[in-house]
Amino acid sequence: MRALIEKAAGMLRRGEISSVELTKAYIEEIKKGRAYNAYVFETFDTALEAAREADRRIAAGDAGILCGIPFALKDNICTDGVETTCCSKILSGFRPYYSATVYEKLLSCGAVLLGKTNMDEFAMGSTSETSCHGAPLNPRDTGRVTGGSSGGSAAAVAAHLAAFALGSDTGGSVRQPAAFCGTVGFKPSYGAVSRYGLIAYASSLDQIGPLTSSVSDAAIVFDAIRGKDSRDLTSKDIFFGKTNLTGDVRGLRIGYVKEYFDGLDPEISGAIDTAIKAYVKAGAEVVKLSVPELPATLPVYYIIACAEASSNLGRYDGIRYGARCKNYTDVDDLITRTRSEGFGKEVQKRIMLGTYVLSSGYYDAYYKKACEMRSRIRTRFDSVFSSCDVLFAPVAPSCAFPLGYAAKNAMDTYKSDLYTVPVNIAGLPSVSLPCGATKDGLPIGMQIIGNRFDDERVLSVAYYMEREHVFDLEEVEGGGAL
Amino acid sequence: MTKDDVKTLARLSRLAFTDEECEAFLPEMDEIVAFAGTVNSEIEGDTSTVRLSSDEMKFDDLREDEILPSLPSDKILSNVEGDDGYFTVKRFIK
Repeated sequence: MRALIEKAAGMLRRGEISSVELTKAYIEEIKKGRAYNAYVFETFDTALEAAREADRRIAAGDAGILCGIPFALKDNICTDGVETTCCSKILSGFRPYYSATVYEKLLSCGAVLLGKTNMDEFAMGSTSETSCHGAPLNPRDTGRVTGGSSGGSAAAVAAHLAAFALGSDTGGSVRQPAAFCGTVGFKPSYGAVSRYGLIAYASSLDQIGPLTSSVSDAAIVFDAIRGKDSRDLTSKDIFFGKTNLTGDVRGLRIGYVKEYFDGLDPEISGAIDTAIKAYVKAGAEVVKLSVPELPATLPVYYIIACAEASSNLGRYDGIRYGARCKNYTDVDDLITRTRSEGFGKEVQKRIMLGTYVLSSGYYDAYYKKACEMRSRIRTRFDSVFSSCDVLFAPVAPSCAFPLGYAAKNAMDTYKSDLYTVPVNIAGLPSVSLPCGATKDGLPIGMQIIGNRFDDERVLSVAYYMEREHVFDLEEVEGGGAL
Repeated sequence: MTKDDVKTLARLSRLAFTDEECEAFLPEMDEIVAFAGTVNSEIEGDTSTVRLSSDEMKFDDLREDEILPSLPSDKILSNVEGDDGYFTVKRFIK
């Protein structure tokens, strides 16, 4: 893992490179790497303007660590005047008239937006193949998916097409593509980062998080974007000051929940076991625990997420945003035809499932039961974290799927979210980082999960892997701008 | 789930499905509804006292209720068909 941001910031500060030069170098990498289909909108002209302004700030001594650093945003994060479509035909041509809080914060730091990244339509998917722009390709093996839904952001970071990127994580959409592409992906506690300007999928689960080349980079970006925002009432100030990455693991209690490892691919469990051994050698202890509700988290997730989506996506009526169908006969026809032409089949399926579980006669049997189960799962994790400090867990039951696998195996793909959705249901922080590679060279990721608002500890424990080089994944060829 | 159920769900979701599309979509909907239904095997008994998600969100730190400038209507209308400060659709009533 390479601490890219600190390195670039040091070079900028010492005058070894200017932000304009750095930005131009990334633009060249993006042009060379277009086959990855990581970006769906490029903002090169405004990036160079922003880089020139960053250079002025650096020269004036008015620059923080992110000033002049080029980055990418997932296409569901609103950027004033820059197309934001959730990779859906229904939002084609939509230019927001306001910016997400996270984007405003990064702009005020002087960071330089290179463009918007590819994703599953409305963040609904685990492979990014439901994008209306076609799937991004995994830079580690272009015959495989990037994972999803923040697949373009993961590909951009893995292929050195951005110094860092933001994604959103509703059921694993930052952590799983990070694992598939061999990058770091951090899903903060629910409420740690404002969701204002994030186009909603499932509001009680959605959370914005960084995808980076290292844990230390993830901490830098997290520090820049977190905090209470009056425009998102679920946001909170969880702690002040800079995230302190001590990497000190002496006395750390690592929770090992057996349900995460039952029947897991031996290559993946072996890689995580090797990491655990390194921590134990450094003074950590392992606490064996059980979360019997783990298998039930999947139906709970799909019920709650789809119920919220069916409501959130009700706003796309062809009147106020994006695309509108042609030749309609009346308002009902306008709305129905616009939605049918604009939403892809996966989005339509999830809206219909959400409508079903909220409908009269089924509400008690599905939505209410799922909410009951969510309460139980949250209580279970409260109890788990009274016995340990962090959990070590897999990110996914397999490495990156071959392209096209999900379309033929929809239920298996849904079930592959098993290890990531519990974190969203309980509102926990979790970082996904590379811990090994398969014999074919595909990255294996693992999660370090913490209690709600224990984000600093999660990152600090993960930092130990980086500092001690417990596992170093080979870089994707191409070198990048640095 | 039947083809008519799919048709009703599509209507409630404001989506247009032909009979053939309902037929084609039925197995997928059947499969995912059955999967969602497995939640029932995990929970038994009365759930009448269950707190729903919205109850769990505590909004105890509300901002002042101040009037702030609205978004400029020309920017909002720049994305879609609009005229003179209004969203417009074609005339239906003559």
